[in-house]
Amino acid sequence: MFVSPWIIGFLIFGLYPMVMSFYYSLTRYDVLRLPQYIGLQNYQNLLFNDPDFWISIWNTMFYTGVRVPLAIILSLLLAVLVNQAVRGVRFFRTVFFIPSIVTGVVLSVLWMWMFNPQYGLINSSLAALGIMGPLWLQSPDWSKPAMIIMSLWSVGGPRMLVFLAALQNIPGQLYEAIELDGGGWWAKFRHVTLPSLSPVIFLWGILEVIGSFQVFVEAYVMTEGGPLNSTLFYNLYLYRRAFDDFEMGYASAMAWILLVLTLVVTIVQIRLSKKWVHYG
Amino acid sequence: MCYLCPESWMALILSGLLFLTVACGPAPEHREGDRTMVRYWYVSGATEQVPLSVTMFNASQDSIVVIPVAIPWKEHEKKVLTAILSGHPPDVINLVTPIVKWSSRMALMPLDEYISTSETGPHDFYDANWADVTWMDHVFGLPMHTASYAFFYNKDHFREAGLDPESPPTTWDEVRNTAHILDRRLPSNRLIRMGFLPDYGNLQTPLVMAWQQGMEFLKGDTLVNMNDAALINAMDWIAEFYEPFTLSEILGFRAGLGFADQHGFISGRVSMMILDNTFLDQIERYKPEMDYGVAEVPVWGDYPNVSSTGTWWVAIPRGAKNPDAAWAFMEFATRAENQLHEALNMTENLFPANREALSSPEFLALHPTHATFTDMLAVAVSPSVVPMAHDLFWREYSAARESILYGQRTPVQALAQAENRIQRELDEAIEYDRYVRERMEIGGMP
Repeated sequence: MFVSPWIIGFLIFGLYPMVMSFYYSLTRYDVLRLPQYIGLQNYQNLLFNDPDFWISIWNTMFYTGVRVPLAIILSLLLAVLVNQAVRGVRFFRTVFFIPSIVTGVVLSVLWMWMFNPQYGLINSSLAALGIMGPLWLQSPDWSKPAMIIMSLWSVGGPRMLVFLAALQNIPGQLYEAIELDGGGWWAKFRHVTLPSLSPVIFLWGILEVIGSFQVFVEAYVMTEGGPLNSTLFYNLYLYRRAFDDFEMGYASAMAWILLVLTLVVTIVQIRLSKKWVHYG
Repeated sequence: MCYLCPESWMALILSGLLFLTVACGPAPEHREGDRTMVRYWYVSGATEQVPLSVTMFNASQDSIVVIPVAIPWKEHEKKVLTAILSGHPPDVINLVTPIVKWSSRMALMPLDEYISTSETGPHDFYDANWADVTWMDHVFGLPMHTASYAFFYNKDHFREAGLDPESPPTTWDEVRNTAHILDRRLPSNRLIRMGFLPDYGNLQTPLVMAWQQGMEFLKGDTLVNMNDAALINAMDWIAEFYEPFTLSEILGFRAGLGFADQHGFISGRVSMMILDNTFLDQIERYKPEMDYGVAEVPVWGDYPNVSSTGTWWVAIPRGAKNPDAAWAFMEFATRAENQLHEALNMTENLFPANREALSSPEFLALHPTHATFTDMLAVAVSPSVVPMAHDLFWREYSAARESILYGQRTPVQALAQAENRIQRELDEAIEYDRYVRERMEIGGMP
């Protein structure tokens, strides 16, 4: 009975909307009027008649595929760096953490100016080195890389802290054993640090993939999906269909496809984890 | 085992109460003392002051009181949508988005009965503004304010280039020739000023050119027309305009333009632009010393002039509790004498929608450019060209324009693709509309 508040909350605010969204995904529905049952037509249109759907899938996959490994590797490297017993290390931990406090719209506006091809800090710095910077957000080739670079701004945030905590939990004897065997820093990292951190890397891998599939604010604020739909991410396209076009049935179908996609990728990650994640 | 111990019951009751509190909260009040309360949601800009129309109406009688609530620009549509769905919408909403987006979805009350017994009617407004509040021969709102467009040009730039500052270009060909005289580059060849930038601003040059050539984007209410010689001509004009520049130059230059004092025209980086009347305020605020002129929108060859407009309308949402009182306020706020009083006393340069107020000597005397803006309203058309697929139309149009600019597609290819997509969406919207109308009826709509 003590869990009844949660159960009631879940039924009303979780299960009911999910069931209804699945029903609406089988309808034409603009929220303000009656839903019209059309069977699987929304799914059929999405998969076979909507080029923007596939563009948004590709953009989101590219963003996720490049961003997630980079974010994890950089967070891990930062955690290893700030795990060193050097003077002032707490100061550096704080400095690396601070950028992650700034998120969302503020971050997007800040980076819009950083990426400005004419007046931005990045291209000005490149110009000082004699390099002509790209058009970044104005270029269909560079817009996604630009957003990935921007997203790495927060690698020193919670991810780094969790890696740091995990690093500090690795028993020192394991490193001593490597030293006795004549192993260097790489052997320690390869045979002790990485296997010990593998459960944390696995966890972040799953969370980051789910988070990257939901990328929205950056494209909404910075590029509105352009140029040439190169930053039309899945959630941005879903939002447009739902709240610009009031096509809630179509958007519900998109939401269910995203759920299935996320589920499949997560199951694959879990299956693969048996080969490389070490517990205990 | 204690399945029904007091603590368990308490938890169950509390969660039930919590649900009831959230789900069945009190409905908004509809009366304030003896006066009927009209809740009025309006989109606000930076200053959230009480609209003068509300103050005037509340002081003019003692049976109705209007309570204004400013809603933020970025999220106004979502807020109004949620309010209507909740069953407790405001009594009056004031928006600038196409009214058809709402009226076609039965979100607004038809006002035909009120109009039939009122002195207010189409004769009070310019055609484009009235077209903006009607759909399927039914009226769903009253135009409250309007935006008109005109051709702004920087007189200092004209003088510097040896051009006559009192003779702005009057045709699009003249615009192209003049623009390239006004372009400026640094010795390093970096582009620092453009005479004109066709796809920059909130009135799209290709659409204006197409309208001027007599193009209709929707034929017979059901057939989308994008791949039309008029629009192709306009796109070709733009491609020719951009010939002296590289794509990187254009994109890089445009990325450097922002808002307020960073706006292209205000910062002096673009010499000529089509802008709306609210820019008079912005220039006054950010660059009062600027010497600029305002002329009529240039024309396509010998064709007659056509411009566009934006309409800020007031309407009664479905489910409003006090529609009669709401109508009384709307009628009052759009009367010529009240609109004129508001225009003469408000701080923002929002134009009244009532044409008698717009053409009154007092209003025209407020600013030397007002007459030009008012003249342009007389030849304006509604920007809602494919009403039932409005947002998609603009998205597809922008995508087509972009793909032409980037050299990805020819104008014919890009516009044909846009036309197909909009047509498919419109067909589905019409089919859905037919299905709904056979099963729902609201406010006397067929």
